[in-house]
Amino acid sequence: MDIAALGIYAALFLALFFEVILLISFFEKRPVGKTSALPSRYPSVAILVPCWNKGATLAPTIHSLLDLDYPKDKLNVVIIDDGSTDNTWEVAQQFVNEPQVSLYQKHNEGSKYAALNFGLARSDSELVGCLDADSFVDKDAMTEMAKAFEEDASVMAAAPSMKVNQPRNLLELMQATEYTFGIFFKKMFDNMAAISVLPGPFSIYRRSLFDKVGTFRKAYHTEDMEMAFRMHAHHLKIVNVHTAIVTTNVPNTVPALIRQRTRWSRGFLENSRDYSYMYLNRKYGNFGMLVLPVGLIGFIAALYSAIYIVYNLVSALVLKALSFVQTGLPLHWPSIRLDWFYVDTSMMLFLTLAAMVMTLVAVLIGQRIANTKLGFKHIASYFLLFGFVAPFWLARAVWDTVLSSERGWLT
Amino acid sequence: MPWQKYTLAFLITAAIFGTAFYLTNRLDARRLADIRTTQEAVSIDILSTETQFELLGNLDCTAISSNPVLSDELNNLAGRLSVAEENLGSTNAEVVQLKKQYSLLEIKDYILMKQISQKCPKVKFVSVLYFYSNEGNCPDCGRTGDVLTYLRQTYPGLRVYSFDFNLDLSALRTLISLNKIDGSNLPAMVINNRATVYGFKNLDDMQKLIPELKTLATSTAATTTSAK
Repeated sequence: MDIAALGIYAALFLALFFEVILLISFFEKRPVGKTSALPSRYPSVAILVPCWNKGATLAPTIHSLLDLDYPKDKLNVVIIDDGSTDNTWEVAQQFVNEPQVSLYQKHNEGSKYAALNFGLARSDSELVGCLDADSFVDKDAMTEMAKAFEEDASVMAAAPSMKVNQPRNLLELMQATEYTFGIFFKKMFDNMAAISVLPGPFSIYRRSLFDKVGTFRKAYHTEDMEMAFRMHAHHLKIVNVHTAIVTTNVPNTVPALIRQRTRWSRGFLENSRDYSYMYLNRKYGNFGMLVLPVGLIGFIAALYSAIYIVYNLVSALVLKALSFVQTGLPLHWPSIRLDWFYVDTSMMLFLTLAAMVMTLVAVLIGQRIANTKLGFKHIASYFLLFGFVAPFWLARAVWDTVLSSERGWLT
Repeated sequence: MPWQKYTLAFLITAAIFGTAFYLTNRLDARRLADIRTTQEAVSIDILSTETQFELLGNLDCTAISSNPVLSDELNNLAGRLSVAEENLGSTNAEVVQLKKQYSLLEIKDYILMKQISQKCPKVKFVSVLYFYSNEGNCPDCGRTGDVLTYLRQTYPGLRVYSFDFNLDLSALRTLISLNKIDGSNLPAMVINNRATVYGFKNLDDMQKLIPELKTLATSTAATTTSAK
């Protein structure tokens, strides 16, 4: 057997092992659907909306917050214009007379964490949330969050279910499927007490958390991930409130997507290094024993697989081209043999299909959890595109980490 | 720490791997069985033609030439063996066994066609005995195989008999010694019983080496059986 292929089998084993664990978690504890129950008390909430050049989407974001089914005297929206150079501040002015809205402008410090801490210091609510200025919440999202904090006093932070806002092009459709898969695995991480990120769109924190562990840090422009890591380090509880739905705009071009994901991937690598003591440390439960090691090995395995595939593809093409030059044979398309005998039935193919089927099952479960609907185009885009684009941001993240190059969160 | 869950997941994953391994092996075994069946059919066909030839002698060449012998079946077998060799490896005992049977069938077909063409001049017999090695000592064998495959597809009447030089088969060893093939200088080709040609030849060279190709009908319907 090709020795290099052993690495691919190892990667497939890891991928299947991880998906099986998630599916076992699902069958152990299935997510309960939304109920009509209301919280007995509505805690005060401040939603921080940091924005840099979000003039195009700020207004609908704020309207979605103002439309929340939540007592108006308990909900404060804090808009922090983080040194925008577009019309963000003008757009924000339309809310200047809204009693629920506070407006602030600050000098940009190069990373989102500073804007969040700025807002944190200017609010005094019981719960603090953040919402990226290109995301939109469902009407009952905050009520669902409040219920989760009321049901369990030990919950210190909660992450929502995230959907893609009106996906149109192939890249957005691909991400719509990816986010739906994310809904499934975030819930399963919750079952295992191992949520690894509190995303910018509508994660909610108990204010006392910041007294215990401190405020947001720059953390390689992934303050949301670092906060989750820090909470695990302090054994503080994070849950996923799958009934709290937020929709978000996603990058619609390949360069923008690669920039965003490079930041996320690099954040994982750098934060992993800073919290390396949690790796394979039983004290940190599934987060230390499973999520961190599998995340890192998965990262390496995905890169290795991409290099393996590209190397084989390029060498086959080069050999073919050389053969044509040397043999003098005319160019022709390889003929298709409609005979089962010539169909690839390798073990690698069956294992790849098994991993794809399990991913599909996870996506379908994610659909049910968040009551969303994906079409054939969404799913086909994911399976056809994701494997091609993901290696770019993984490779770039490694490159940036090795060179310690600073790209900033805005790029 | 839920070790039980991890262990269960590990076992399920191992079971998925086991199932994939089993399926692959089952299908490869079916492929080998398929090759065996085809070889048996080819063997019967060759025997039948031999018998027919012996019965008729050179009295009725039309009956012989209206039953062209087995070129497609042999080509088909070559392609199938090539897939089996790729999947199971060239050292797999069953693959080696099937290659031996295939080589024997080729030799029998070659001898028979030679006899038929001598007695029936109307039967065109243009042959290439092609000796290759897949033990890493023949860098030109792949490209030579590509050229021969192309020629065979273009000229269905061209009979390319490809032999793995290293196959341990006494009939093949005899064919090799009769043609005085030098194994250190592969690829080697014996074209229409002429002197052995060594080394890689591109399409132009090959067409010059086989002027009889001009007498053969061409085909546009290409098949893609491998000459190696």
